[in-house]
Amino acid sequence: MLEKDVTLALAFKLKSLLQARGLTVQLTRDNDTPMEPNSPANPLTLDDRAGAANHSRAAACLLLHATGAGTGVHLYTSELDAAAGEPAVQPWLTAQAAWVPQSQKLEKQLATALTRARIPLVTSAASVRPVDSLTCPALVIELAPSDSDDPGTINDSSYQQHVAEAIATSLVFWQGQVQAPVKLGAPAASGALSTSGTGDAGVTP
Amino acid sequence: MISRHQRIVFWILVVCILGMGALLFYERERDRKRVQALGDATPLDAPTASTEAVTLYLASDQDGSIAAASRQIALPTEITARARALLDHLNAEYALDGSAHPLQSGAMVDDVFLLPLPIVGHTLDARTSSDSSGTSTSLVSTDDANTLQPQTVGGELAVINLRGSFVNQHPSGVEVESLTLLSIVGTLHANIPQIEQIKFLVDGQPRETLAGHADLLRTYPSRDTSTAAAAVPAN
Repeated sequence: MLEKDVTLALAFKLKSLLQARGLTVQLTRDNDTPMEPNSPANPLTLDDRAGAANHSRAAACLLLHATGAGTGVHLYTSELDAAAGEPAVQPWLTAQAAWVPQSQKLEKQLATALTRARIPLVTSAASVRPVDSLTCPALVIELAPSDSDDPGTINDSSYQQHVAEAIATSLVFWQGQVQAPVKLGAPAASGALSTSGTGDAGVTP
Repeated sequence: MISRHQRIVFWILVVCILGMGALLFYERERDRKRVQALGDATPLDAPTASTEAVTLYLASDQDGSIAAASRQIALPTEITARARALLDHLNAEYALDGSAHPLQSGAMVDDVFLLPLPIVGHTLDARTSSDSSGTSTSLVSTDDANTLQPQTVGGELAVINLRGSFVNQHPSGVEVESLTLLSIVGTLHANIPQIEQIKFLVDGQPRETLAGHADLLRTYPSRDTSTAAAAVPAN
């Protein structure tokens, strides 16, 4: 059981559900390419992935992970302290700071949906690259087995589908709520990043 | 017919050979004991005679929580040896059967270095860009103030040099790796208050992640991590 296989399976399920609901989904990996960060065989580094997500101006950026430890789903936002607004020049390593309030709001919404779906949940903040460099509401979603005594349950397709449906349902409601942070040193800008009903969901397996 | 003086010379040579053999054997044994004494791994800085109450921040993989637990442990008085002993005791807790955050047994830390803040001159962040001369460090800039300035007078940066064997055997996952780091941060914060910031090395070198997820390149503020994770059980 490899993490890259589990995350790719979950990403495909999530993509199908989101596209069926009219959202545009952009994956940073859609096949079984080498996953070693920054290796020559893998042209897309972690920073490349963050850059791709930032350029897509996504309504939500999800970083999918999987683990054999714990149970249910683990949701994490960036550990950065929330900034008052988005500076004109954003430091790469702390670009997420202005988006932390939106990320926390998204986390709360996903947590509610997962709890309603009766999926065990842990929410917290963590320092996992490249989440701190994303300029969008960003969450790390870690899938754990449904049964803590049987790590193999993480491969259960129906369990993955159940989790993906809860996340997709929540994201459909989220697309109309996302608010860009105030630009610092410039006239205030507000409004949803995507209001057309085809908001992007950058999914990073 | 062998003459008498030839027999005398022969026996003298035999005695000399045996004597040399005995001398060589004695020297060999003496040198072996000396080398064994040099290789003795018995710690020289013995713990203080009495135990004391320390607070360990213990993680649980089940609910992603970290809870403070009190233990009676004998610790060295020297501050870096104390930090190292604390972290090794922490790992020993995780190596016990039935641990809520199971890790491999063995020493977690090679060394702990304490540097007085502020760090003047160069950052320790391996992600800083190289300058034209090719060095990998960069001058401290004003926007590093939160990272490298002390919060109180006497504040120190702890550099934890983790063992490669510990890191290579650490389970992979966002939760399990984050809990290990938060557990270390909380334990140091509770027992060595002058530590304000913490950086990690692995076998003396910067490493990107603990086991593929949790960032080891950033500087972690020393803080109470017992309430860092919140669990929402399914109904």
